[in-house]
Amino acid sequence: MNDNDLKLTEGLRGLAADGPREAPAWIQERLVGELRRRSRVRRRNRRLGVGAAAVAACLGVMLWVRSAPVVPAPSLARVGTALALNKVAATQSPVKPTVLTPTYERGAEVAMNEATLNFYSLPDADDLPPIESATIVRVQLPMSSLRLMGLPVSDDRAAESIQADMLLGQDGLARGVRFVQ
Amino acid sequence: MSNSLTEGDGELLRLISRGDETAFLAFYRRYQGPVYRFALQMSGQPGIAEEVTQDVFMLVMGSAKKYDPKRGSCAAYLYGVARNFVLRRLEQERPYLTALDDPESEYADVAADGPDALADLTRNERVESLRKAVLALPPAYREVVVLCDLHELDYAEVATALDCAIGTIRSRLHRARALLAEKMRAEERCAV
Repeated sequence: MNDNDLKLTEGLRGLAADGPREAPAWIQERLVGELRRRSRVRRRNRRLGVGAAAVAACLGVMLWVRSAPVVPAPSLARVGTALALNKVAATQSPVKPTVLTPTYERGAEVAMNEATLNFYSLPDADDLPPIESATIVRVQLPMSSLRLMGLPVSDDRAAESIQADMLLGQDGLARGVRFVQ
Repeated sequence: MSNSLTEGDGELLRLISRGDETAFLAFYRRYQGPVYRFALQMSGQPGIAEEVTQDVFMLVMGSAKKYDPKRGSCAAYLYGVARNFVLRRLEQERPYLTALDDPESEYADVAADGPDALADLTRNERVESLRKAVLALPPAYREVVVLCDLHELDYAEVATALDCAIGTIRSRLHRARALLAEKMRAEERCAV
């Protein structure tokens, strides 16, 4: 290494040691502010995503239920022991679901028709608000859905369809189901 | 809460990608100095250095997951990002900069060999003239001098940061030092 190289090396060392060692403090403050803003946005988007998924699931169920063929509804329905549907309110129509107006009859005997069948409560229906007005929609379901109620269905008949009545609450969410056939 | 002061870079980046403020601060404090100094030594302008430092850590904030430890150290990754931002900024501001960036310009020689060169080369003056000489180097040589000589990175790390072969780094550094030595000799001749 000659004299010039030594001087250059020494000069570069001096240059490396010279000048500010840190970025100005305001940069850190600004970056932290930006990080917090992005965290807020991320949290909000996550909440919106969950909400949108829930709404989409509800709409999907509604569309699935409503797109199924509808037949004239039965004359009377009864759900469990708390809710009785004692009045058929809507006109029978082959394309529209029949609307039934329910009333609570606490302690009273439930009026029953011989044709009345019990509704099976759907999973998670207990977490939904009480029924104030209900709609019953007749739909075609795959036979395999009987398994959800604990009923045995052979594999060769699982693809066949079966008629069922869906009990929808005032919020459009399904509370119960009963099988007609 | 993570113990961010002792976490490795990879773990810090993983936490940052989840919005962990403590991890981000630890990472920022670890690397802001080198990134800022690199940008300042490359551009010669505090304004550009500040903007580049912000941009680099904004990018880390938004895409911390993109860092691949197999491709090199985190420092090399950050230097590479900073280098790209600096070059882009210099390119944008080229019409408004002095001609120091252009080694072919006659103004660059005037600036490097100007009145200061006529004065005695005290240590401070030598550092100042060397700073100007470094800034007058073409960017491809300048970045190698800054990383190898001023930040004391090894050739492999510099090659990773600049995304080129180690042999290229060696040859560029050799050429850059030769240019700087020539400047120094010219200044000494002027001083005498």
